[in-house]
Amino acid sequence: MTAFFAVIFGMTLIYACATSRIEAYIRALALQGFLLMLCVIFGRRGMPAASLIFLCVETLAFKTVIIPWFLMYTVRKNGILREDEPYLPNFYSVVLATAISAAGFYVSFLMLRSGAMPGVNALFFGAALSAVATGLFIIISRKKVITHVMGFVMMENGIFLLSLSFSGEMPFIVNLGVLLDLFIAVFLLGLFVSRINSTFEEQEVDMLSELKD
Amino acid sequence: MALLLLLLLAPFFAAMVFVFRSKGANAILPVIYAAGHLFFTAWLTADPGSLSGYFGVDETNIIFLWILSVVFAGVALYNFDFIKKSEAAVLKTTYYSAVLLIFAGAMTAVLMSFNLGLMWIFIEATTLASAYLIYYKAGKNALEAAWKYIFICSIAIAFAFAGIIFLCASIPGVQKPLSFGSLYQAAPFMNHLWLKTAFVLMTVGFGTKAGLAPVHSWLPDAHSEAPSPVSALLSATLLNCAMMAIIRIQKIMILSGLEREAAGYLMFMGLLSVFVAAVYIIRIGNYKRMLAYSSIENMGLIAVGLSLGNGAIPAVFIQAAGHSFSKAAFFLTSGNILKRYDAREISAVSGMMKSDRTTAWLWIGSFVMISAIPPSPLFFSEFKILRVMFAAGLWPQAAALLLLLTAVIYGMSSAVFKMCFGEALVGAEKEKLSPLRYISQTAFIAILTLAGFILAAASI
Repeated sequence: MTAFFAVIFGMTLIYACATSRIEAYIRALALQGFLLMLCVIFGRRGMPAASLIFLCVETLAFKTVIIPWFLMYTVRKNGILREDEPYLPNFYSVVLATAISAAGFYVSFLMLRSGAMPGVNALFFGAALSAVATGLFIIISRKKVITHVMGFVMMENGIFLLSLSFSGEMPFIVNLGVLLDLFIAVFLLGLFVSRINSTFEEQEVDMLSELKD
Repeated sequence: MALLLLLLLAPFFAAMVFVFRSKGANAILPVIYAAGHLFFTAWLTADPGSLSGYFGVDETNIIFLWILSVVFAGVALYNFDFIKKSEAAVLKTTYYSAVLLIFAGAMTAVLMSFNLGLMWIFIEATTLASAYLIYYKAGKNALEAAWKYIFICSIAIAFAFAGIIFLCASIPGVQKPLSFGSLYQAAPFMNHLWLKTAFVLMTVGFGTKAGLAPVHSWLPDAHSEAPSPVSALLSATLLNCAMMAIIRIQKIMILSGLEREAAGYLMFMGLLSVFVAAVYIIRIGNYKRMLAYSSIENMGLIAVGLSLGNGAIPAVFIQAAGHSFSKAAFFLTSGNILKRYDAREISAVSGMMKSDRTTAWLWIGSFVMISAIPPSPLFFSEFKILRVMFAAGLWPQAAALLLLLTAVIYGMSSAVFKMCFGEALVGAEKEKLSPLRYISQTAFIAILTLAGFILAAASI
């Protein structure tokens, strides 16, 4: 069952690289949040009830609803529709994203075979590595600042999955603080996106190259 | 008790800022906070307590806590005049003061964290708070600097978090405690592959915040665009907080027998930082960016010192303290220059000796202190670091370091003296600045000179 979720999670990564409509990115992120909740429920049996509830609330409320909703709000308020001319054409993006996913799963397969990681969920680990790498890839290959924020959120989803792939868990207070920090970070980034939109004519990173030596 | 009060002081004063909402209160409350911070730090030094394993002071972080306390006190005094005379709306200065206090509180919490997870949380909190402070002046350039800062540092800190997860994976057993005490205890039994991965991820993550090359790119932009009191805090205290995290995780590496790997990595980043700083400083055009690159250079020296092991540890702390005080003095003085000339370009400033003699002398004094010219205490720490390097047989690295440091001093001195001497520019009229804009820097330079003489007497 969890293998199925990990595979769907991997597919959202490739979908995000294939599309150029900003709203489709956000839907992919929301779907990722929902899949993460399913991974928590089905993948982590034997977890204390309090942690389970906290992680479910975190993934469902924050990763599935609030953050995608806030991003959608920012996008609609600023009239951002699509990623017009990415640095890489979408076709090559898809090819690269597929390669990244394959590499992520291959590394995790190698780790599994070498026996270096007892108690690690190899599929989660592979999907997590792919998500972090894809998030970074989106950040470097797209021009719009809002897409960069989404790459960042995707990276964070990957890191969340990474923590799920290992047994053992963080202390509660750490989980709470991390959640709060990430939420404020995304919120601030969204505000800055709006500010960039109103200060510069375009919301593209090429505009942000005034400061240099 | 003192611990709890010290931690709660910042949120309390930030709330008070919103209660009063006047320019006077916005200016004076950080000063009162600084006094309270000094008081509780002194109390903690006399009576170190610990708070259920989450916060506490030990011989490592108490030094950084004192640096933070004293530097913040000086900056708060300067900041009083900065806010009082500012033409910004009252609401804007209210936000500024509240965020400044939260920023100081978050840095205090970073330093006092005895738990790696909490330390991560508060380091990210410092990023979020200071992003607003960097954006304070508004406009295109400030927006660009703030965006780059928050985005690069958030991604970096995400890497550090992945490092923490790998560190958890390297601990044998089901319980994954993140307090430094238990991490040190578990260190000899950790899985080396995971631990090395974790160390690389965390040095990249926290190293970005510390301004180590090659992940330093946010630093010159943020330091040059922020208001001068904020630049002083960013450089003199925030970089130390990130260094604190690196010191803690390096200790885990040492205890688990991976000392050489950690040292090699830190030495590489340290030398590269000094190199990057030297290359840019030689032909720099903007004096605030020059100071920012000098911070990168000093963080590089600290990383090099850390990589040398126990022999250089006292030198590392002297280097950190000396850099903090002299850089704070330097950045605050740059605020005076910016106020008088309204330009950040070195070419736009000349003849400061004629238009503002005190600022010119403070500028030269800060330069002498930061370039490790005696009586600066940095002279002794850099001398010690180089001596340990020669003793350890690291001849090529030491020679390269000496050459690069000379290049940095050459670049900075040509800029500093060009600005101080020559014909006074028309328009830089002799408007008197408030004494508060001089007193902190004078005190910092006096402290450093005194420390230098004490070190000299001790080493004879």
